[in-house]
Order: sequence, then structure tokens, then C-alpha cells
Amino acid sequence: MNVAELLAEARAAGRRYLCEDEVKEILGGMGIPATSCRLAHNEEEAVELARELGYPVVLKVRSPLIAHKSDTGGVALNLADSRQVRLAYREIMARATAVDPAAAVTVQPMASPGREMIIGVTTDRQFGPVLMCGLGGVFTEILGDVSFRLIPVNSDVARNMIRSLRGYRLLAGYRGAPPADEEALVNILVKVSELVATYPQIRELDLNPVVVYDRGALVLDARLILAG
Amino acid sequence: MPANKLEVLHRIFYPRSVAVVGVTGSSDRVGYNLLQSLIYSGFQGKIYPIHPRLESLQGLPVYRSLEEVPGPVDVAVIGVNQFATVDVVEQCGKKGVKGVICVAGGYREMGAEGKALEERLIAVARQYNMEVVGPNTLGLINTRANLNATFYPLRLPRGKVSFVSQSGGVGLTILQKAVDEGLGINKWVGVGNRSTLELSDYLEYLARDDSTAVIGVFVEGTDDARRLVQVAGEVARRKPVVFYKVGRSNAVNFAALTHTGSMAGSYQMYRQILQQFGLLVVESALEMVAACKALAMAPIPRGNGVGVVTHTAGPSIVLLDEVNLRGGVFPSFTESTVDRIKEVLGQNPPVVLKNPLDAAGQGMQATAIGRLVEAVLDDPRIDLLVAIYCLHLNWRCPTSELLAAQEQSGKPVVALYISTQEQVREEREILHSRGIPVYVTPEEAVWGVSALLHYALQRGGISR
Repeated sequence: MNVAELLAEARAAGRRYLCEDEVKEILGGMGIPATSCRLAHNEEEAVELARELGYPVVLKVRSPLIAHKSDTGGVALNLADSRQVRLAYREIMARATAVDPAAAVTVQPMASPGREMIIGVTTDRQFGPVLMCGLGGVFTEILGDVSFRLIPVNSDVARNMIRSLRGYRLLAGYRGAPPADEEALVNILVKVSELVATYPQIRELDLNPVVVYDRGALVLDARLILAG
Repeated sequence: MPANKLEVLHRIFYPRSVAVVGVTGSSDRVGYNLLQSLIYSGFQGKIYPIHPRLESLQGLPVYRSLEEVPGPVDVAVIGVNQFATVDVVEQCGKKGVKGVICVAGGYREMGAEGKALEERLIAVARQYNMEVVGPNTLGLINTRANLNATFYPLRLPRGKVSFVSQSGGVGLTILQKAVDEGLGINKWVGVGNRSTLELSDYLEYLARDDSTAVIGVFVEGTDDARRLVQVAGEVARRKPVVFYKVGRSNAVNFAALTHTGSMAGSYQMYRQILQQFGLLVVESALEMVAACKALAMAPIPRGNGVGVVTHTAGPSIVLLDEVNLRGGVFPSFTESTVDRIKEVLGQNPPVVLKNPLDAAGQGMQATAIGRLVEAVLDDPRIDLLVAIYCLHLNWRCPTSELLAAQEQSGKPVVALYISTQEQVREEREILHSRGIPVYVTPEEAVWGVSALLHYALQRGGISR
């Protein structure tokens, strides 16, 4: 399915919240790099997918009712073999089905560590769609070190948005650490802007975290909300 | 904005005749003051006070109704309550009035009932193709037309700066401070509830208004923020626009479903988006006035290289520090500049020859300052000069020297005369009339200089 079809399908089903696998399919359609995210309907499928993707893997709960996956014990990282996958599958499902009987699990490759960013879109009451980016974790949540720009955003504005972060040096390289791939981040920002400018029915989008490497960047988790 | 709207706005700012509805004989009442403001500001067009029983008010004949007014009426200033206002607007429509200024509050800001009333007001205005200033506004001022259509009788010096304010009180703060600073006013409007005229409409009008050189905007929050920043960004390519946005405390919505959602709606977002569109954002009414003053008086520099000549280090350090944070640089002088400075101060002067140039004892004599200022202004790395002088009972200010040096170089000069406003008034008048803004504190000088540098860089000036 292409992006328009994916959005239309969710809409037709009366859903405003898109699950991670769906959002990542949309990102893929826009050429935004993300970790693959495969839906497992049962334990055997989870093990099979893990083998296919290669260990270590990540298991995440998949339910439109559970937006904050890790807060509710819905994420298991760095699973090394089929035994760990089975255990994690059972634990996640036991918690999730209490909330949503239709909950499932996604299996994803474990990404290598890098510098974490958050990229998002919000529809402001006064401005309409606004693009945000910030350094992940405490930088965004506690220090509020984020940039906002009105969508559409071109690569110059995107670059400026990254460089105006107080914590920019963490990306630019410090204490001998090589610079992160800023242009890969610019590329994601511009494509997210394009996505939302093309599909104004997207009300909110969170790519969190986006890991930036010395070469390349990768979206590890994503959620999307359509206009009501 | 449609051409028709622009024409109506022009008529509102330059009316040939103004009717005042809701006038009384009591100076306690808003209506009385609406009338007095028009007379006090010296409005030359026709003024028609309307009252059902009174014969004359403040020396003018009173008409029993709008209908009875003999000639056409361009603008009606309406001082009756929110309910009666709607009926008066209807009468205005029938009379062929172009624009109404509705002072009364009690509309959308008061909940559902008020909102319904405002919708009626809008519907009536639309029916007769009228534009509404307000409602819930102090009114508007145009010094070019000697027009004060507010209920605050004021006499304001004419000038090149116009203000659009979402608050009457903050708008008045800016006006009064501007007058104190010797800054002339062109137009001023309190936008009120923005029933038919948005902030962006006034901005578009002022962009086309040749007598306005600089626009200051005070904004609380608006539904058309997207259009506002886009329009303001366009306008700022032609004339400087300065924004003061209130609301720094962030009411964060923790219930928002996404993280990005909870970070939105903040002052930070507003500020960054204004900056995205190249606009200058200030943080107080004082900074607004200081910034507009520099932009209205001095030319925009070619780049961001600042030179300072002083006889006291402290204020120049404050300046260096704050201007640096706002994008200015303080280049070291070229060799030939240093040679010229030595000609003034001697071959081995007891001061360090660097920028800012602190000439200490020798920098208290106007003639020496004049020669130093000339030398620094001639330096190719310097785009703008700040001259600092602490006013003294017995020593002359370097006013004539600054004027001569500025004229010769054509580069912007900012004077920081540390003084009271009263003491500096005469010097200030001369300097202001010839394009040199004068400030009495280093902080205000910083705001003025930074405003000039902002627009220098926005216009593709040299980034040193």
C-alpha cells in the first residue's frame, strides 16, 4: 500500500491512531529510513521473524490502545535467542491483553547505539502544522532544548533548526567524538515536512528516538495521529 | 488582502469625516473622550457628534442621529455599550459609513453569548461592506491625519514608526515610552477582537503605507498566526517589523498523546517561528521602543561589525557582551586605523588600542572623541559605530562631532549619552533630527544596535 492508501484505510476503519508498523510503512514510502517492524500474531511467528531478522531483536507491544509502549512494560530490548523471545512474548502479551484483547507484538532488529534525537510534528491551534526536533531524552524533556519551524521546511531551514539547538555540539562532535551525520537528519526533517504538507490529515507525528550515526540515521520508533 | 479591504482601511486611517456615537457632556464617560481626542489631536476633517437630545458639545453642533448628518461619513467611532453598538453599526451601514471603530467590550471574550453578539456585529458589517476596528479596543491613531480616534486624548509627535497592538494598555505603554524616547509616531491601532480586521490586514496596509518606515507589533495570540508570520515575513523584506510576543510561561499539556504535542503552544515555538521568517523578536515594551527607534532613525548597516569609542569601560563591556549574544561582532581595527588613533592619543598612550576603544581621560574632550570616531568609522571592518559619553556639567558633549563624522561616512552611528532624559533633551533633538539615535542606558543602546544588526544580516549584509 502507498501512503495515501494506508492513511485512507485507517480513516475508513475509524482509527485516528496508527500503529508503529503502519507508521514505519508510511515512512518507508517517503524514503525515511526506519528499522523494520514485523507484525507477529503468535509466539511461533515471533520466533520465526526473529530468526529471519537476525539476533539480537526487540519485541514491542502493538495496540492502538497503548500509545506509551515502554511505560506499560510493552518493550523488550536486546533479545539474544528464541528462548528470550518466547519469554518476552508471553510477558508482553499477558500485560497487553488485559488492556486490549486484540493486542499483538512486533519484532524488530536491535539497532546499534548512536546519538538519539526526537523529531515530531504537531498541529498548533494558531500555526497549523509545525515541525519539531530536539536531542533525545533529558535534553528535550527536562531542558526543553527543541527547535520549532513552520511546515513546509526546506533543507536550509532544517539545518538551521538542528544547529540552533543548545546541545548541537553533541551532534557536531566533541571530546574526540566524530561528528554525527547531520545531513541524514536534515534529509529526514525535510521528508517529514513533505509528508505532512502532502497529507494534512496527519495531525501529530512522533519519531522518537531517531538515532544518528557517523553515517546515516534511523527511526527506531514512531507514532502518528490523524485529525479527528 | 482584497483591494477593497485595503481601500477601506485607507479610508479608516485617513477619514474625511468622523461621526462619534455615544457622546455625552460628562468627561467621566468614554464618549466624551472620544470626541475630545479628535478635537485635541487637531483633526481637520468634519466631526459629527451624535446624541438624541443635546444641542452642542465641546463647541460642535450635535446631530440627533446619523441619518441627520448632512454629508457623507467615512468613519464612525462608537462609544455605546456592546448591545447598542450592533444597532449603531446597522445605522452606519445605512448611512454608507466605510469603517466603524467599536470601543465596547463584551463580545467573544465573554463566552458563548458574547460570541453570538459579535457574530451579529460581523454579519451587519459584512452586509454593508464595512470593516470593524475592534470591538473591545482603545481605537486608532494616525498622526499624519491628526487623527486620534481613541478615548485617550493625546498629542503625539509625528514620525515614521507605526504600531499594531493586541492590547490597548501595552500599546499605550509603547506610545508613552516612545514619546519619552523622542520617537515620533505615525500610526497606532489597538486591534481588539479582530472581528473583520486581523493583525495581518493592518500589517499589509502598513507595508504599503509610504509614511510608515518601521512597524512594531504586540501580539498575545491569534487564530491566524500562520498568515500573520507569512505576511510579516514578506513585509520585513521591505521595512523592518519588530514583534513583542507575550506569554513566556508554558502551560504544558501533559495529557497530550504525543510528546511533540505536549511541547507545542509555547512561547518558544512562537519565537522560533517568528525568527524563521526573519522577524526581530523583542522581550519587552522598552526593547520594542529602543529597537524601533534605531530602525526609524539610523540607516541599516552593511554588515555586523561594531566599533565602539568610549571614555569609560563598563558600558562598552555591557554592549560588547549583549550585542555579541545577538549576532554582532567587534572586529579589531586595521593598522591604518590604529595609526590614526595614535595621532590623536599619542604614540604610547596609557590605553589599550583595541575595539572597544576606551580613550579614558582623553575621551572626555569632544574634539578628541570626534577624531577618534572619524578614524573608527573609516575602518573598513566597521559597519556601525557606538559613541559612549557620560554627560558632565562642565564638559561639552561630542554632538557636533558625531554629526560631522556620521555625515562624512554614511555609516550608522548610535550615541549612548549616559544621562537623565531631561539633561540630554537638547542634544537628543539635534541628533535625532539627523539620524543618530540617542540612548541613556547601555541596555537600550544594545537593543537599538542589535535591531540594526538583525536587519543588516536579514538583508544579506556582511557577516563578519
